[in-house]
Amino acid sequence: MSKEKIKINREFYDIMPKEYQELVEDATYGKEGRGWKDVGESKEMIEEHSLCAGCPESIAFRYVLACLPNPEDTVMVGSTGCTSLVFPHVAVHNIHSLFGNQNAVASGLKRALSYRFPDKVKDVVVLAGDGATVDIGLDMTLQSWFRQEKIATICFDNELYANTGGQSSGLMQKGFVAKMAPAGKKFDKVDLPEIARQSGCHYVTMLTVSKPNRVEKAIRNAILIAREIGPTYVQLYTPCILEIGKQMMEGLQEMRDSEGPGKRFEFKEYISDEAKAYLESIAPKKKRKKVTAQTEG
Amino acid sequence: MYAVAEVIDEDCVAHKGCRLCIMYCPEANTILFDAEKKVAKVIEPSCKGCELCVVVCSAAKHNAIRLVHR
Repeated sequence: MSKEKIKINREFYDIMPKEYQELVEDATYGKEGRGWKDVGESKEMIEEHSLCAGCPESIAFRYVLACLPNPEDTVMVGSTGCTSLVFPHVAVHNIHSLFGNQNAVASGLKRALSYRFPDKVKDVVVLAGDGATVDIGLDMTLQSWFRQEKIATICFDNELYANTGGQSSGLMQKGFVAKMAPAGKKFDKVDLPEIARQSGCHYVTMLTVSKPNRVEKAIRNAILIAREIGPTYVQLYTPCILEIGKQMMEGLQEMRDSEGPGKRFEFKEYISDEAKAYLESIAPKKKRKKVTAQTEG
Repeated sequence: MYAVAEVIDEDCVAHKGCRLCIMYCPEANTILFDAEKKVAKVIEPSCKGCELCVVVCSAAKHNAIRLVHR
């Protein structure tokens, strides 16, 4: 199936854009074990976008899209923010929701998809910024977790409202002074991973995007667990270099600096017992598959 | 005048499995692995000149990428 869906009719092949032709020929739809290692050797599912030069968020976007286990049957739900500038250039089905509504839209979508395609695996992935997840859409985010909706929520945490000039957000660290928050943040960074754990998420992790293999593992786990068990939450630190006063090539160092021991983005992971058992149950299957494929081949 | 990245083919160690610049480039489909020459190659029209590839390459002491003005 996979590439059959996007194949071009032979008569129209030459009038289709070059990027689309490349996507049909060279993208990794339907490939087993997709991951960040495919990047650079096959067509990525994201095209030229309008994010700033050196933006760590676009690095995160590349990894997330390269790591989706089932991109042809995935629907991503985005929200207002810098992420919504990228979604028009992404080769995965996506919906733009109103600011903050992303988890509510995703809940409805997941139910409709499981009703319409009962025999198929359809993943629904929410990808939104910290403003949409924690401030404006906190109600919808939490309610979807309470209801145990089977969706994966990914939050790109840049600690402020980058798109509108740098107002403080709930995830901003205490005391930080931004362009539109000159008095400094008055209260602590909201501990959303802990809230997610308490609210019934089966897989919660917080990390930066400085290590692609870690991001790959987090995204894969989150989506696979959300498929079978229940809601999952991934918080990725993608600093806004423009608003925190860094040069465009300093984004990576900023992420490395904030993930050390005791720092605010130290790697955290929580897996519920049920989810752990599920992950273990699918791991040997894969190995078995590989073995049979080798003996057949 | 724009600054874009340029790979110095002789110094590139992509044939040894290095993928640093490809991995950390924020732009999609911009630094690719050239399977014939076994080096990284830059697709210039989509390079925004952020210098991140230069930083990671020189931090690993390969120094195989520089910025050039076009």
